[in-house]
Order: sequence, then C-alpha cells, then structure tokens
Amino acid sequence: MRSRLSHTLGTLGQEILLVVVILALFAVVGSVNARFLSQHNLTSIFVGNAYIAVAAIGMSLVIISGNIDVSIGALIGVLAVISGLLATNGYPIWLAWLAPLVLGALINTLVGCLIAYAKVPSIIATLAMLSILSGGLITFTGGRWISGLPAGYQLAQFRLLDVPSPVWFMIGMTILAALLMRYTAFGRSVYAVGSNAEAARASGISHAATVVKVFAIHGAIGGVAAVLFATQLQVIQSTVPVGLELVIITASVVGGVSILGGVGTVFGSTLAAILFAAIGSSLIFLNVSAYWLRAVQGVLILATVLADMARRRRTG
Amino acid sequence: MTAVTRVLVRHEAILAILFVVALFVLAAQSDRFLTTANLLNQARLMTEVGLIAIPMTFVIVTGGIDLSVGSILGLCAILVGVFWQNAGLPLPAAIVLSLLAGTLAGFANGVIITRFRVPPLIATLATLALYRGLAEGISQARSVRGYPAWFATLGQGELLGIPSQLWLFALVAIVGIFILRFTTFGRTTYAIGNNEAAAEFSGLAVERTKLLIYTASGFVSALAAIVFVSRVSTTRSDMGTGIELEVITAVVLGGTSIFGGRGMVVGTLIGLCLMQILQNGLSLSGVRGDGTTVVIGAVLIVAVLISNVLSRFSND
Amino acid sequence: MKRLMTALLGASLLTTPAAFAQSAWTGGDGQPTTPLACSGESPAPEPGEYNGGTPTNAPDRKGKDIKVVDIPKLVGVGYFASTSSGMAEAAKELGSVAVSTDGPTRANIDEQITFIDNYITSGVDGILYAANDPVAIAPVLKKALDAGINVVGYDADAQADARQWFVNQALPNGVAKAMMDQLAKEIGEEGSFAIVTSTFTTPNQARWISEMQAYTEKCHPKLKFLETVEAQEDNILSFNQAQTLINKYGDELKGILGMTSVATPAAAEAVQQNGLCGKVSVVGLALPNAMKPYINSDCIQSTILWNTVDLGYAAVEVMRQVADGTLKPGDKTVKAGRLGELPIVNQSQVLLGQPKIFTKADINDFDF
Repeated sequence: MRSRLSHTLGTLGQEILLVVVILALFAVVGSVNARFLSQHNLTSIFVGNAYIAVAAIGMSLVIISGNIDVSIGALIGVLAVISGLLATNGYPIWLAWLAPLVLGALINTLVGCLIAYAKVPSIIATLAMLSILSGGLITFTGGRWISGLPAGYQLAQFRLLDVPSPVWFMIGMTILAALLMRYTAFGRSVYAVGSNAEAARASGISHAATVVKVFAIHGAIGGVAAVLFATQLQVIQSTVPVGLELVIITASVVGGVSILGGVGTVFGSTLAAILFAAIGSSLIFLNVSAYWLRAVQGVLILATVLADMARRRRTG
Repeated sequence: MTAVTRVLVRHEAILAILFVVALFVLAAQSDRFLTTANLLNQARLMTEVGLIAIPMTFVIVTGGIDLSVGSILGLCAILVGVFWQNAGLPLPAAIVLSLLAGTLAGFANGVIITRFRVPPLIATLATLALYRGLAEGISQARSVRGYPAWFATLGQGELLGIPSQLWLFALVAIVGIFILRFTTFGRTTYAIGNNEAAAEFSGLAVERTKLLIYTASGFVSALAAIVFVSRVSTTRSDMGTGIELEVITAVVLGGTSIFGGRGMVVGTLIGLCLMQILQNGLSLSGVRGDGTTVVIGAVLIVAVLISNVLSRFSND
Repeated sequence: MKRLMTALLGASLLTTPAAFAQSAWTGGDGQPTTPLACSGESPAPEPGEYNGGTPTNAPDRKGKDIKVVDIPKLVGVGYFASTSSGMAEAAKELGSVAVSTDGPTRANIDEQITFIDNYITSGVDGILYAANDPVAIAPVLKKALDAGINVVGYDADAQADARQWFVNQALPNGVAKAMMDQLAKEIGEEGSFAIVTSTFTTPNQARWISEMQAYTEKCHPKLKFLETVEAQEDNILSFNQAQTLINKYGDELKGILGMTSVATPAAAEAVQQNGLCGKVSVVGLALPNAMKPYINSDCIQSTILWNTVDLGYAAVEVMRQVADGTLKPGDKTVKAGRLGELPIVNQSQVLLGQPKIFTKADINDFDF
C-alpha cells in the first residue's frame, strides 16, 4: 500500500507533491483546530504572503535562466518606499502604483546588463545591489517611516468578488507567467539559455538579450510585489525586511525550479510560497512551542526537499 | 595551464593593488586609520568572518555554497552556554562538545548534499532554518553570561602584542592555503569545481572530498562561534545572523569563481582585508554606515569588472 | 510524505498544552521581578550609591564644544528616528554639542560593536548608545571609557560599570503596570489575551514580559495569557501574526499586547481589517503618529509610550552635564533643559518619567 502510494507520487510532478503536502497539512491542522480551515483564515494566509508568491514568480524565471538574485528583498523595500513617497507627496495614486514596476524593470535591466554583457556573475552583481539598495535606502529616508498615506492607496485591501486583490494578483500573474514560459518563443529561450547556454547560442538564441529581458521582467514583477507589500498596512517601514530574499529563493527552489537552471515551472514556486505561509500559520494553530517553531519549519523544508529528491531519483 | 595561472594571478594582483590604493586614500582621509593599534583591532573584529571564509573558499571552489554557516555559529554559541551552565560541565569540555556539534552539523550538510544529491544551495537553505531553529529551541531564547575571566583571553586578550584570535586565524588560513595549493585534496577540490562528472570518472574521491569540505565548514563555524562568544562574553541564539552573506562577499571579492574551479585562499584573505579597511576607513573619514554599505557594493562590482576587462585583453 | 508525517508527529510532541502555558509566559527573561503595588502611587526608588564607570584621564570638556555620536540598536525604524530628532533639538538648544546618529541596519550585536569601536578610534568626546545586548556591548564601552570618552546610554542599558549614566525611559515594572492596568480596563478582569513581541532574545521586551507576568499574577490574577508570538521588527510579519492569533482564538481573544512600536500598529491594522474594532483591544507600545489612524477612528482606545523625542533630548542634556562634570555621583536629580529636574534612580540612572497613556483626547497634540 505504502509502496504503491509512493510510486504514484514518484511519477507525478513536484507541483502535485506540493498540492498533496498542502492538502495533508490543511487536513491535519484542520482536524486539530477547525478554525484553521475557516474561509477567513485561509484568505488571510494567502493575502499576507501573496507578495512573496508574486516575487517568487520572477525569481523562478531568473533561476530557470541559470542565474540568481539575492537583492530582491532590498529591491522590494526600496520600491515600496518610493511608491509610498509618491503617494504621500501628492502624486496621483496610479503613478504611485505604476512607478515601482517601471523603476524595478529599469534597475534590474541595469543588473541584467552587468550580468549579460559585462559578464559579472549574477550572485556577485546582485550581492552588490543588495548592499547598494539597502544602504541607499537608509541614506535616502534617514530611517523615517512613511505614514499618512492617502485614502484609496491601499491596493492590497481592495476586494473583487469578495476575494482580496493580492490573491487575484498571485493567481493572475502565476497564470500569465506560466503561459509566457510555455507558449512563447521567449519562454523557450529562457529554458534553452538555462539548460545549455552553448547550445542555445548555436541555435541562434541571444544569450545576453534573454538574460536582460528575464531580469527586466523580474524587476517589474518585483515592483508588483513591492506595491502589494506597501499597500497592505497604513505605514511603510524604511528598512529592508531581513532575510526576505532567502524566503523567496526557497519558495522558488522548493517549488521545483532547479538551481542549476533550465528546469522548473512557476506554478511550483507559487505552491511552495503558499505551503510556507500555511506552515507558519499552522504551527501557531498546532500550539507548537514558540521557541521550537523555527526548528520545525526547518525540518518541514528539509523534508519537502528530500521527498522531492527521492521522487526525482525514482523517476530517474 | 600557464594562461590560466596568469589570469589567476591577475585577479589577486588587481585586488592587491586595489587594496593598497584604498589603504593610501583612507590614510590620507584620517590620521587615525593607518596605526598599528587600529589595524590590529580591525583584524580582531574580522576574525569570525575570516575564519569561516577559509573553508567557504573550498566550498565555492567545488561549485557549491554553504548558507548555513551563520546558523551553525549561532547553534554552537548557544551550546557552549547550555553545556556549561545548564548541564554543569567544565567550560573546556563544553567548548569541545560544541565544536563536535558544529562538526556534526557540517557533516549533516555534507551527507544531505552527497548522499541525497540535494543541490548545496537548497540543502543549506533548509539547514539554515533548521540550525537557527534548534539554537532558539534549545536556548529557549535565554542568554548565558558570566563566563570565567580566562575564557575572555581568546576573544579579548593579546599574545605577544597581537590579538589572540589572530593566531588562531593565521593557523587556519595557513592550513587552508597549504591544503588547497599543495595536496591531492586541493587538486581534487579544483577538479570537482571544473567538472564534477569528469573528476568522478577519473577516479577521484569526489563524494568523500565534498563531505570533508562541508564538515570542515561546520567545524570552523563552531570555532568562530567560540571566538565570538569569548569576544562578547555572552551567548544568544541570534548570533551570526546574516554572516553568510558577508563571508560569501569576501570570498567572491577575493576572486573565487562562484561557478567553481577557480579561486585561492590568498585571494579570499585580500578580499576580506579590503572589505574590513573600507568599513573602518570610511567610518573614520566620516562616512556613515549606510554610505559604507553602498561603497562596498560598488567596489564588489568594480573589482569584478576590472578583472573581466583585463582578462579579456590578456586573451586577445 | 512519510517524513512529513513524522515531522508533524514530532511537532505535536513539542506542543505546549495551554495548561502549562500559564506557568511561565513565553518570551520572558526569567530574571527576578519587582511588581509595583496594584493601586496608588509607589514610592520613588532610592537613588542608592553610584555604580557607573568613570572615563580614564578624560580631558577637561567643561564648557567646550563636544562631538557626540549616537549609536542606536538599529537605524531605519520610526522609534530611533524620533529619539535622534530629540537629540538634534537638544544639541541646537545647547549650541555646544554636535551630535550625529549612525548605526547598523539590523538589530545586530556584532555590527553595533564594530560601529562603536570605529567611533572610539575616530576620536569623539561622547558616545550615546541603546544596547542590543547589555553584556556583549560592555567590553567595547569600557574601551571607550578607557579612552577618556564620556559614555551615556538610553533606551536599552549595558552593564552599569561599562557606562557612566543611563537615561531610563520608564522602569520595567512601571511599563508592566501601565500595560496590564490598561489591558484589564479595556477587556475586563477575566479576558484572554496574546502577546506579539519582536524576538524572544530582545532584552527590553523580555524584561517587560516577565514584569508583566509578575504584576498580573499579583493584581489581575484572572486575566488569561494565551501565547506569545515573534514578529521580528517587521510590519507585515507582525500583521500576519496578529491575524493568525485572531483566526486561531476567535471570540476567545479579547486583547493583543504589542511589545514593540512595530508590532502594535500592525496588530491594530489586523483588528481593523477584520472589523473587530471594539471587540478585540490592542494595548501596546507605539509611537502616537503610527497609532493616530486607529485611535482617531475609535478602533483602538490607547497607545502607551514615553515621549521618545524627550528621551533623545534628555540623553544629550545628560551627556552635556557629564562632560561638564556638573552631574556627579551622589546627585539626587539632574536638570534637563525644558524637561526640568529629572530624578536619579537605581544608583546611576536618570529616570525620564512614567510611561504615558495616549488616548483620543490628547494624541493629536503630539507629533512623533
């Protein structure tokens, strides 16, 4: 029985595994405390973490193309502050929502050029950006928080069909990115560049142009994440959330994006982001001692990764 | 081979020139910078990062990465306190046990990476969460204080006019230089980074080498934990948070290729010193911390850019 | 899958049943406590004998211009932005003090030590600090004293002999009394509440939680503690954690205690977004500016804090008098500019005052 189950699991993709794990988690926690499964709680799990899932989409593209970005947390912090400053200084609200997308794309185009044309390895270029953005943010804001945001600015608090907007963004952007990766020439070139840069070049795909585009898109998606981040509360903090980049990268790789490039889908990363959010919330519902919470989270991440490895080896 | 060596020498040489330039510029800015007392003091402050950077050079030369070093540092720091105060062991025994625990943590990383074939980035991302969680759970977030005076000698004392931990650092660095440069083990390390499959086919002990390197990384992180606890005379579960990025910055600034196969311990040492004098020198010349962070990011990019440009010329 | 189940089973073993939770509040520091009297004024504590340190061979700075650096726990949070504006105000008033703020972007003990060390080398006259860890920071502060630098702390103290004076915003048992009295007033003597704190290792918060437990057992024994959650110094995480508490306990949850100026507004936001205004109280430490939207809309009744601008102001005033030598061991009070006479307590601390409870009646009179 068990071997048949694991065999079945083994033949399915990482996405299915994640769905099963998420459902199992919901079932277990829900049986301990039924409130966990209330529509209200499920919504708040999605809403509070949608910006991580959104950012993980862009990160997945970057990793599939064979690169990495450790500056995304800092970028989100900077773009959120810029959005907030525009809104509080009387600029139209649509501009405050749109500017982070454009600026994110511009900043990351620059990073992409450093990587693609100046041949600076992506981890170095983005490590440097991490320093520049997080230091620059403090210099710029002097450490003050942004408050007094105008009415109507809180995009993340809007609802459509009684579903909060961050959830729509998360679902919509995941589907868009999945279509982009699956059905366009650009999507195929990203996989090609990531799996075998030489072969891609031979088949006429411009390696450099693809990498720059990937980073530009990643920057724009980071801008969306920043707006969701900035518009959730009525105050925007001017520090970069500590360790946000690691959470986003973890979501991407646990979602089945191979760190070696060339493999993976954006569905997986969104599912993984949902899983992490659910884990964080469920441990509180399960009354896990607060001191041990992070250790249990670590065990769960490790278990997911090992299960994935076991699955891959069985499917060979 | 000679061409490769030339390029190798070149990056470290550029870095050394950059270091000397920085030294002179900063000395011109503040007359308190270029003094023996200040430089020795800076060396004391960089010892923990420096210690971990030595095995990290090996890790990155194999094409891997170890993100869990900061968490191992935190875990081992906590364990010293717990073994000593809560378990009532003599302090030397507590230190030995803590070193063992760190070694074990590194070994576990190695096993996950070699036996289960989990990519190092993911494996150590997971253990980063796990080890930090263990530190928090075991300590119940309590600090342990009141260490005997002799213990402070390591972190706060001097030996022959030089901060005591520098002797330890020098020893580890020399061992690192020797092993990477002059032993079969070192050659295997490079071979793995250049082409792991080829190294395996040619009968090199790939798995064993990687396992040993990650184990050493854990051991040295524990060593850094002891030095750190002795320097600040308290243990907290959040010690070493984010140190992994500092360590990796020093190593890649030192010319070790993030793709593996290239790098020297000497380069890491220069990279490390460059970072430290920049932080110190800029602060002494009146630049605030956030400005310094920006400059370090910029230097990281510039260093890689210069060496890229020069290596292109030398290839022509 | 099997592994995951094992992990979940393991997780349930670590479970803290609610019955045990009552024994010690999660997040306290386990140090001895001194709860205040339940009602009436407690007598001001005796100053006692000076136990601070002394700088070695400090030059005569009386009346001279001095250069002072302020190194808070971290930069980039509203709390320390407002203390540093108070410092600038005092420096401007005095005219003879140049003060600048510089510090790490994360509340990190190691980085803070490096900052202080660099400023010792660069040669300042005075160092103001808010310590991330009282013990870890002590060696470098002693080094500053040895270099003849005047050292004064504010907000978060170090070991007494590692600095000269400490400007205490409010005594921990006073903070505890203000918080718990306000909570009991808002949710009744038998309500249940949960705590959102930064991290369990932050000394100030851990101290307050322990004092709050002691005071509650003495004066509000029927209040029911549910649990403490960590939320770093992170707005969104604080919001998510408060949200989870609301969802988990439903109607049982009557109050949320916010232990930091980050957690409290985020918890208020969660209460407001859930439409629970008036049903779930948020009592906590927060800057008035951050709480105005919630208090003005009658969703939240109060916020508790000392005046952070005054805290920074007093720190610079004290620093000036320490440098002048006019504040000496054995003094009972110290004159602090527009704040008037401040009492000296606990051997070498200057007490700013009692924590203030801001309500709709007066919160709009303050801007920090």
